[in-house]
Amino acid sequence: MAGIRELRGRIKSVGNIKQITRAMEMVATTKLRKFQDRAIASRPYAEEISALVGHLAAVLGEEVKKRPLFRQGEGDKIACLLVSSERGLCGAYNSNLFRKLEGWLAQEPREVDFFVYGRKAYQFLKRFDRKVERLFIDPMLEEIDYRGAARTANALQEAFLSGAYSNVRVLYSAFESMAKYVPTWIDFLPIEAEALAGDGEGAKNTGDVILEPDAGTIFDRLVPRYLETRIYNALIEALTSEYASRRMSMKNATDAAGDMQSELKSIYNRKRQEGITKDLLDIVGGAEALR
Amino acid sequence: MSDELTLRVITPDRIVLDTEASSIRVPASDGSMGILRNHAAMVAALDVGLLIYSRGGAEHVLFVSGGFVEVRDNTVRVVSEAGEEPAEINEERAQEAEARARQRLDEGRRQTDLDVLRAEMALRRAQFRLRARRGSSLS
Repeated sequence: MAGIRELRGRIKSVGNIKQITRAMEMVATTKLRKFQDRAIASRPYAEEISALVGHLAAVLGEEVKKRPLFRQGEGDKIACLLVSSERGLCGAYNSNLFRKLEGWLAQEPREVDFFVYGRKAYQFLKRFDRKVERLFIDPMLEEIDYRGAARTANALQEAFLSGAYSNVRVLYSAFESMAKYVPTWIDFLPIEAEALAGDGEGAKNTGDVILEPDAGTIFDRLVPRYLETRIYNALIEALTSEYASRRMSMKNATDAAGDMQSELKSIYNRKRQEGITKDLLDIVGGAEALR
Repeated sequence: MSDELTLRVITPDRIVLDTEASSIRVPASDGSMGILRNHAAMVAALDVGLLIYSRGGAEHVLFVSGGFVEVRDNTVRVVSEAGEEPAEINEERAQEAEARARQRLDEGRRQTDLDVLRAEMALRRAQFRLRARRGSSLS
């Protein structure tokens, strides 16, 4: 009976798929944990740097706003760093990101040049004939370390200082919880001076602090570090979101495969039973006829 | 005698050091700078170099690469791109990096200023790493 053999084949292939998706789920879980650990490990440095920046911004006061990184660029284009994933099978991770992007592009009359992490975003932008200024592949997003992120931050900073752009923005998926990853914009450059001194703690401690060599010099060395931590943080958070999303979708696939498998199995068993009953009837019927 | 300063060294990847120390020397951008208890509140830029701190009568060395030091209320916080204990430094790799940087400097008459600057920075990092590794605490 062809139906039965076919069913057996399908049960087996669904089982294979289930094994694969389960393996992928476990890989994603491991990587997720790795990136979460790195996000936590990088926090003290980022906090310290932004506290120092806030402190010195408070010392410098209005001086800050004269610096090029704090003023709107002269260009009329916008640079956008888009952080997507390298590979698919991660649920709606990329499509959510692209939807957010399209929403912005629809009401942005100015020309936008893209700086890209992840092949998915590259393919997406190419499909719509968008200009990709640069695709970061060294190091790949998954192998990103602080130095890699620092190079990217520098590239964006140089692009901004070259005068071609008025703003630099970053779109990435912020990690809110295991089940929530929100595509989020950062207004990267120019830096909002108000946002720096925002925590108020810096302003309190400005009195009687020795500054070596002087506030301006320290500040100008701090700001690039501050930008680096922002990029590093965005990249690590995007990776965390990606793997949380991938884990979730692989878990759903594994569950769905399990459901399908048991459904197929019960059909299979019913058919097998039917076959046996029919055979038995044949045998009994045959035996009856021979008598 | 209890040690008198809290020293924390923070890099992008981890907190390298969180300890007590009786005196600390940091490679500030305009020369080595000593910090003892009751030092005035201060923020200073750091250079590539060696951070030396004494604890329990013994001197310890740490390689740091740029960054900043903040002193407040007898707490010394160093934020740097790198903070490496001598035992963590790979001597061979540092030697190779030194040789590479020297080579780049030698062949590079026609290089841009930026390339020269990069090579010089790399050279200094390698040299200080080696110095930390070999335990000569002179900075």
